[in-house]
Amino acid sequence: MTESTTLAASVHRNGLLSRLSAWFSQERVFRWIPFVMVEGMFILILIIPFALTIYISFLRWRANRPFEQAYLSGLRNYESVIADSGFWDSLGRTFYFAGAAVVFELIIGFFLALMVHQITRGRRFYITILLIPMMVVPVVAGYNFSMIYLDSGPLNQILAPGLNLFDINPRIRWLSNPIAAQWAIILADIWQWTSLTFLIFLSGFSALPPQLINAARVMGASRRQTFFWVELPLLKPAIVIAVVIRSMEALKMFDPVVLLTFGGPGTSTQTVAYYLWEQVWQFNKYSFGAAASIMLLIIFSVLIFFGIYLIGRQGKAIERGEA
Amino acid sequence: MSTDAKQALQIANRRRWRRTVVRHSILIGWGLIIMFPIFWMIQTSFKDAHEWVTWPPHWVPQDPTLKNYEQIFTFDVQQSGVAREATEQPFNIWGAVADSLIICTTSALIALFMGAFLAYGISRFNVGGGKFRHSVLIIRMIPPIVIAIPLLMYYAIMVPLASETVLGFRLSLFDTQFGMSLLYITITLPFVIWMMLSFIDEVPYTLEHAARIMGAGRLYTLRRVVLPLVASGMVVTFLFVFILNWAEFLLSLTLTHPDVSTLPVLLNKFQSASEGRLYGPQAAIGTVITIPVVVLGVLIQKHLIKGFSFGTIRK
Repeated sequence: MTESTTLAASVHRNGLLSRLSAWFSQERVFRWIPFVMVEGMFILILIIPFALTIYISFLRWRANRPFEQAYLSGLRNYESVIADSGFWDSLGRTFYFAGAAVVFELIIGFFLALMVHQITRGRRFYITILLIPMMVVPVVAGYNFSMIYLDSGPLNQILAPGLNLFDINPRIRWLSNPIAAQWAIILADIWQWTSLTFLIFLSGFSALPPQLINAARVMGASRRQTFFWVELPLLKPAIVIAVVIRSMEALKMFDPVVLLTFGGPGTSTQTVAYYLWEQVWQFNKYSFGAAASIMLLIIFSVLIFFGIYLIGRQGKAIERGEA
Repeated sequence: MSTDAKQALQIANRRRWRRTVVRHSILIGWGLIIMFPIFWMIQTSFKDAHEWVTWPPHWVPQDPTLKNYEQIFTFDVQQSGVAREATEQPFNIWGAVADSLIICTTSALIALFMGAFLAYGISRFNVGGGKFRHSVLIIRMIPPIVIAIPLLMYYAIMVPLASETVLGFRLSLFDTQFGMSLLYITITLPFVIWMMLSFIDEVPYTLEHAARIMGAGRLYTLRRVVLPLVASGMVVTFLFVFILNWAEFLLSLTLTHPDVSTLPVLLNKFQSASEGRLYGPQAAIGTVITIPVVVLGVLIQKHLIKGFSFGTIRK
């Protein structure tokens, strides 16, 4: 007690410090301290690098030359990005991968959540098991699938009896065929992220108000009618959120590509993230990469705002009491 | 009861029984699909070099061995017998483990501190306006490659140049634990703010108001009234952010080489070598990375189900 009073007294004696602490503990200042800290972090680590990137995207410069020798070259980098078929191909491929993966994840996740919702016994056990893939580090998942797709891996062993009937050598190199490699990556993504859609749908199902469903049942709706006309509309927010969140994540796809195929065979599995990574880190095309990442940001921000708009609309509908 | 009704009941019961069986078998089937890759990794980690790739593959190691774990956990990398292949460089994972643990823990702690503080401000005083709540999540949606390219140039070129002209010595954030931690703090802050908001919103403001009226200072109120009520939420948020950082791959792959290396990057290092792929040690590293995270994830699972409702649960 005495110690703290002496401390307080010493603070009071020190005029500047006490005035400073008084200024900081003012209500209007105090509440902005964390905001300033966090915004400072964002500015330091995200905004300044982006400003520099915009500057670099107008330069003519490769990383193997000193930065001081670079000179401005107008919009040349943007022109070369727009003219670059590799960029647009990989962008299209990214949408193809994301679309295929997300559709399967939504369907499988929805039915798994429905089944877990309907059973009574062992629900906790199933939830624990089905959520494990989400916790597995994506790199490890990619490594696991690279082992499974090996030409002498378990997948070929399981398929071997069927393949032997048709006289096909069962030791297929899945990752050497363009289409098989693409689907290998999509399957790895489905394996890992179905658990996320499952989780979102499960929390949606468990939030269904039982009164409404009971009311519909009492009024004579069949099980199927209740499902389609009562439960499904109530689940709309969960579906929208699952679609938006999963699509956003799937469009970033990078880890399984590196772990499974390194973009190969040829360029058949390059996603846009992998393509840019290769351009910058393998070929040192820094200013090209800068221009491409600015363009990618513009393309993605349209999608992001659309996604936020969709989620926000659902949130407002919930607040209004509709569904 | 008439016989007809009895029969109908019997049929209904049988149908319900059949439905239950179908549901359980589908769930078990999917569970097996889920567990198979993990099982395969774990059993590969116990195989010796001659068993890594065989045709037909062995589903259970025929002579189980701990050599892979011995190799990755060995302290003395010069010791003979550690490198088992001609192409193989002797290595251990202690450096990567230390880097991963330091980077993930410090960045998660600092992000938690800053984010929880700001979430409190947003929840109580509406700091940053009503839109700020949702707009922080935009940062989370930007693809990491778009962040990685500017950051590489910033860390490796701009910061050294600037520090040399301003401070007089060369300070590089590239390939340092400090730089990686700063980056991880920034990209996980939106998640922290967002998760902590949902926990802090549940604490009634009247409690704090009462404490303030009774003469408690602002920080004292925070520490003794609010903090105990959101402590469990903070633990969940910390673990979640830790898992996110632990699994992060693209940014650590691009911004660290060769001094600092996180565990996913180390695992990937042996993936590209087309001839000298170290299947066994890779499987051991994978197991070491996976097990703590899965255990943590199972611990916070209950909260994840709540957290991932994204506000769709009606109160």
